[in-house]
Amino acid sequence: MSETFAVELQDVVKRFGDVTAVNHVSLQIKEGEFFSLLGPSGCGKTTSLRMIAGFEMPTDGAIYIYGERQGYRPPNKRPVNTVFQNYALFPHMTVAENIAFGMQMQKVPKDEIKRRVDEALAMVRLSNMANRKPKQLSGGQQQRIALARALVNRPKVLLLDEPLGALDLKLRKAMQIELKALQEEVGITFIYVTHDQEEALTMSDRIAVMNNGIVHQVGDPETIYEHPADRFVADFIGETNFIPVKVLSLSPTIEVELGSGEKVTAGWAEEGLAVGDRAVLSIRPEKMDLLELHEAAKLKSNDVARVRGKVAHLVYVGTDTRHSVTLGDGTEVVVRLQNIHIDEEPWEIGEETIVTWNAAHARVLKE
Amino acid sequence: MERLRRHPELQAWLILAIPVIFLLIFFMAPLLIVFVYSFLERGKYGGVEWVFTLDNIRRVFDPLYFKTFLRSFYIAIVTTLITLGLGYPLAYFIAKSPPSRRNALVFALMIPFWTNFLIRTYAWVMLLRTHTGLINVTLMNWGLIDKPLPLYGNDFAIILGLVYGWLPVMVLPIYAALERLDESLLEAARDLYASSSKAFWRVTWPLSIPGVVAGSMLVFIPSLGAFVTPAILGGGKSIMIGNIISNQFLGAHDWPFGSALSMVMMIAMLIATLIYFRWTKKSELVT
Repeated sequence: MSETFAVELQDVVKRFGDVTAVNHVSLQIKEGEFFSLLGPSGCGKTTSLRMIAGFEMPTDGAIYIYGERQGYRPPNKRPVNTVFQNYALFPHMTVAENIAFGMQMQKVPKDEIKRRVDEALAMVRLSNMANRKPKQLSGGQQQRIALARALVNRPKVLLLDEPLGALDLKLRKAMQIELKALQEEVGITFIYVTHDQEEALTMSDRIAVMNNGIVHQVGDPETIYEHPADRFVADFIGETNFIPVKVLSLSPTIEVELGSGEKVTAGWAEEGLAVGDRAVLSIRPEKMDLLELHEAAKLKSNDVARVRGKVAHLVYVGTDTRHSVTLGDGTEVVVRLQNIHIDEEPWEIGEETIVTWNAAHARVLKE
Repeated sequence: MERLRRHPELQAWLILAIPVIFLLIFFMAPLLIVFVYSFLERGKYGGVEWVFTLDNIRRVFDPLYFKTFLRSFYIAIVTTLITLGLGYPLAYFIAKSPPSRRNALVFALMIPFWTNFLIRTYAWVMLLRTHTGLINVTLMNWGLIDKPLPLYGNDFAIILGLVYGWLPVMVLPIYAALERLDESLLEAARDLYASSSKAFWRVTWPLSIPGVVAGSMLVFIPSLGAFVTPAILGGGKSIMIGNIISNQFLGAHDWPFGSALSMVMMIAMLIATLIYFRWTKKSELVT
């Protein structure tokens, strides 16, 4: 191992009975990183987090925290702290007692505990709540106390299990920004579990997209969004059009044929595809444009794909309008056009059109 | 009818009226009678003479009776502590069992109640009796002991009988409290560097105190007033206040003194309960 990671999972497997929750997962999380585990419920992200915390022991594989193998080490002996989904604040203790708990267990001197509790309360701006019971606080306040209770112990790694899941949308957005700012301020490695892709994209330095116990892709938000590695990632992160195609060639240029017989080129093809395979072409709705038939004819570039279609319906969503277009083979694609010019003549339902996109933005993925 | 619909609080009172009237007649009235009787003189063949006196109350504090009073308290407290000591781990075990098994275990706990309490207590007599009891006979036959053990006709037998009888009543409220306990609170404690025993004493125990209080009350109060168990297992030698009271009514025909004993016992119980509540409140009761 040349580099020491904050947390490293090596080929970790977790089975519950005959259910495999985590299936050969390997991850390397760097020091000071805001790392998200993203995926739908039951994808193994929470189980992975619980194994790092020590609540679950891996069936196979190894977990390292700062180069130290954890094995069967119990949670109280690990240099990590957790912010729980339901906060798990002790209902019989005051806010200050909750925050002091971890330090009391570590036998930190009393005056230092008091000082650090005050600091932690100031950090989450709840100094006046020290003597309240958790039940007397709002959801957002409880959330911040849970955060303070974990961070006050100065863990090497903070584990967060969908900490914003129970908050309403507006508060969640505000907390996302606050949490990210806090993480940058304290410089602690955060491992953040969420099923909310927007949340993950907003906050993370890097994201691991998981499904069915498998890591599909690890990368920074831009990579995950712009260059999804496979169909699951493309589908789960944001919105994507999938057009069924047949692979015509893979090198030197990637060329595919649509159901309508139209041929287009693409910027990237998933590994393992062969000429003649059935595949899907993945293009984000905002990367597409609509042209009048005569406009398209003027386009000369080979790097721009042109496919005939018919406008099926329109949905106006304020900043832009979603145009559903039926292609020649019956596939419906969504084209998002920004509403920049209010005087522009809108597309009408039933109108013939040419859907275009930059070939570099199209990715050929396995079905 | 129209009026009722417009005043929901009136509907509530109407529904409450039946239990309230029932309790007034069948609970408060006898209590009041007992209270009044304690200050009257005894009639010749039971009943009372309507003459006011404080003699009955005074007699309660006669060392002859007062000693039994204190012993009854002692027996009730020891019984409560032992049932708590046995019941808590049992409740904990049931609460930590897989959900599918919990109901079966609670059910098993209730099975003894299917048999009449009197019969179950006599069964203990068969086991404990000094010369002919199964335990002593067996131990003597095996040559493990020379003399029969003093298992019967003493405080030990009474406490054993009471613990046996009231154990399920201790377990159920504690189980209810532990079963409600959010598992993630314990994980949070472990995550915050608590060993498993620290997590228990700082989280599980304080959060289960409402169950402990309820269970203790449900065991202590009937134990203090017990008269069937001491009558049978005490072998006529070891008695409790409940036996004296029942004897005043059924044997001695001294209703006023029996009433006075009951009154003093009720007041003592009330005070003990209040002290206990005050004491457990301090150990961080969840409100």
